[in-house]
Amino acid sequence: MKKNSAFNRIFTALVFLFLYAPILLLIVFSFNKGNSNTVWAGFSLDWYQKLFRDRLIMQSVYTTLLVSLLATAIATAAGTFAAIGFYSLRRRKRAALTTVNNIPMMNADIVTGVAMCLFFVAFFTLWSDFAVWFNGVQHVIELPTRLTLGFGTLLIAHVTFNIPYVILSVSPKLRQMDKNLVDAAMDLGCTWMQAFWKVILPEIKPGIVSGALTAFTMSVDDFIISYFTAGSSSSTLAMTIYGMTKKRVTPEINAISTLLFVTVLLLLVIVNIREARLERRGGQAAVRRRGPLAQRVSRTLSTPKGQWLRRGTAAALAAAFVISVTVLTSATNAQSVVNVCSWGEYIDEELITQFEEETGIIVNYQTAESNEALYSLLKSGAGDYDVIVPSDYMISQLIEEDMLAELDYGNIPNFDLIDQRFKNLPYDPENKYTVPYAWGTVGIIYNTAMVDEPITSWGAMFDTKYAGNVLMFRNSRDAMATALLYLGYSLNTTDEGELREAFQLLADAKKNGVYQSFVMDEIYQKMEGGNAAIGAYYAGDYLTMLENNEDLAFVIPDEGSNWFMDAMCVLKDAPHKEEAEAWINFIASTDANLANMDYIWYASPNEEALEQYPAYYEELYEEELDPAIYEIMAAPQEILDRCESYLVLPPETRMLYNTLWTELGI
Amino acid sequence: MRNKLSHFAIPYVVWMALFVVAPIIMVVVYAFSAAEGGFTLDNFANMGTYAVVFGRSFKLALIATAVCLLIGYPVSYMMSKEGPRFQRAAMVLIMLPMWINFLLRTYSWMSILENNGLLNRLFQRIGLIALYNQVFGTDIEFFHMLNTQGAVVLGMVYNYLPFMILPIYSVIIKLDHSLIEAARDLGANSFNVFRRVILPLSFPGILSGITMVFVPSVSTFAISKMLGGGTDLLLGDLIEQQFLGGAYNPQLGAAISLVMMVIVVVCMVVMNRFGEGEEQAVML
Repeated sequence: MKKNSAFNRIFTALVFLFLYAPILLLIVFSFNKGNSNTVWAGFSLDWYQKLFRDRLIMQSVYTTLLVSLLATAIATAAGTFAAIGFYSLRRRKRAALTTVNNIPMMNADIVTGVAMCLFFVAFFTLWSDFAVWFNGVQHVIELPTRLTLGFGTLLIAHVTFNIPYVILSVSPKLRQMDKNLVDAAMDLGCTWMQAFWKVILPEIKPGIVSGALTAFTMSVDDFIISYFTAGSSSSTLAMTIYGMTKKRVTPEINAISTLLFVTVLLLLVIVNIREARLERRGGQAAVRRRGPLAQRVSRTLSTPKGQWLRRGTAAALAAAFVISVTVLTSATNAQSVVNVCSWGEYIDEELITQFEEETGIIVNYQTAESNEALYSLLKSGAGDYDVIVPSDYMISQLIEEDMLAELDYGNIPNFDLIDQRFKNLPYDPENKYTVPYAWGTVGIIYNTAMVDEPITSWGAMFDTKYAGNVLMFRNSRDAMATALLYLGYSLNTTDEGELREAFQLLADAKKNGVYQSFVMDEIYQKMEGGNAAIGAYYAGDYLTMLENNEDLAFVIPDEGSNWFMDAMCVLKDAPHKEEAEAWINFIASTDANLANMDYIWYASPNEEALEQYPAYYEELYEEELDPAIYEIMAAPQEILDRCESYLVLPPETRMLYNTLWTELGI
Repeated sequence: MRNKLSHFAIPYVVWMALFVVAPIIMVVVYAFSAAEGGFTLDNFANMGTYAVVFGRSFKLALIATAVCLLIGYPVSYMMSKEGPRFQRAAMVLIMLPMWINFLLRTYSWMSILENNGLLNRLFQRIGLIALYNQVFGTDIEFFHMLNTQGAVVLGMVYNYLPFMILPIYSVIIKLDHSLIEAARDLGANSFNVFRRVILPLSFPGILSGITMVFVPSVSTFAISKMLGGGTDLLLGDLIEQQFLGGAYNPQLGAAISLVMMVIVVVCMVVMNRFGEGEEQAVML
């Protein structure tokens, strides 16, 4: 064949540049002093140090490696046997089974994920009925009645999508194998078991190894299927990253990726250099060896020289198995844990460490995107939490659907510290279920460098003058609220005409290109970086953004706004209710509230903390707290009087919200 | 002995029945049931409303697949003509990005494409934007790149290009060279050798490449959320929204999944009819 021309080579080089530009960027910014992914602030290794202290990330790396190794080991063994079985079947049966086997590979990941999630949850319901009945009729064995998504389901899902890849790479090797070999072995007195071990296995080994490698790569790279099957207690690295891309990705993630990348790169380089050496020695025969990387690695593994590698792999797999068994058994032991689900950037993380040190209870801290998303997580069975921190209207809805547990306030003495005006609020009139966490207002944030007049009306959210520069809420209640406020309707209207009018306002603005995007916590990055001019969001978060961009201003428009209260609740069948109450009590303390106020910039419902905060600030930073900032943080009563809080809507209206919201996306 | 070995398949057949077939039956059951239980066709009745989303998703996925093919085929072809050492390095380089999570790579694109991102800064620095303003008489400070459909397609191409290159490459590399020599001996010029011999023989690779790019593209939700800004939903977003997102309605989500699954399967079957012998195609 003719050699490539210079033009062709440049083309190939450009493609590789395209593939690697973002990766190089990631690597470079893992050494950045600042926490930006675009602005270089100098060289540092800080993020690498922080990485090893970050439990959330390390834990998810561990989960990822563990699930990938285990799933690979199981899938490789199972897949090899299955391939041999398939191969020995009659043609028609084999064809039918191969089609079923191809389903997980051909199907879209999201369908596989959703299907498994539905299946697991349905199975859990059946199981719980069965276990209750079973525990009732006999008392010898006590079956657990409540199963949840977790490491087990994650592992099953990974094994299921890995096996087809193993079969795919083993089957061709079986087909290439000389069929007479097995018969000859049997004739010479082998049992079929011996024939398998001594004849078949050595023949198909390269296929097995390359199948295992493919399976492992797929497992590590997977996000979508894990997302639907892992539940809330175990999260893979991909899931942690996904959670972060919604707000700010810490450069620690860049650091861990760089480390993984360099490790794999080194491994591959070593393998390739070894092979190149073999080639030089082996001459002609070896030069012919080409083919996909996986196959070449497998060949390296099966050469005598690769024996140490093989033994290493076997040892690693065995170790992974032992570790996982220990982890699984220790996890099932009643360890002191509490699963908390809150919002992004909504806690001073030092508090978690402090609580763990004081009580020995491990906090598994997760975040949800919005009240509606939290509701979906709870309903679909994907979220298995003890403590949640929903907003007022969602609390009413959860109480209405009997999903919350009544709290034992005897375990929460700090509840007495809560300001009287924040007790017995309409969402929980007798205050049986909740302890307030934080409160605030919704307003418009705008960049004074990009908007030349002060904004005073919600109309700015629909004004084509700012087309392409406006960020709208990505949750139905808040997005509809901006339109309802502008139109002068109540935030709690159930009138279909008014709601449709508000929807039309949003839909028209969207059609006219007003919105740059629909966001939740992505707004931090976009407003701070000056990538958008106007966005509606929460007051406390505005103050966080102000720390990073001084041009930003906040306004509660003339038409009024929403004021909200987020409160901690415990789910009805939470397995760790006592730990949950200990956590709630800890967070309700004045010290924790002060620390939180200082970190998240939301107002505290704790009377002492709210009063003491300006003094606390002065002591900490040795400067006075700007009264204007304090007013945005903890809006005075006359502003709150202009605001309305959300009430729970009747089911038909909620249905309408869902339909309109889905339609808006179309 | 054959019968004995075929027993090896039994555990996996049970496993498939449980974790492959049963979950899909669950999707079908959900798709045909109402929120309060009981059979209904309502979930499909409104499917027309979502036709736009179906159209948009298929359009973007088709464009991404075409671009992948247009880039991936030449690259695989050129790689196969280089020396073994280059090929080895190239294979490593193509598989390596898969070890950095795709969400992170996509996130990296966000910081490249932002209005104040790296690319726009570069354009400002080299005066491209000033030049553009002069030529077109506009007054822009940046090119609007993020949150467009183009950015979504770019994300798809970027993430799934290796899935196009790998199968095509592994087919081309196994081509019987004597066929090419024969064609040349019979007087074909290099264009004809390519069109009449190499291209038809690499068809199985192309087919499996197309499948491996199209299916994940049409159903993605993370890429469109990150690079598309979430204003125009794709099928994946729509489904995710009904299950774990802001509009809980698993029955509708299951119905949409089912319709998508059927369309994809039909497309694949039709395509495979075109290229019999796809069984030989190598996936990865």
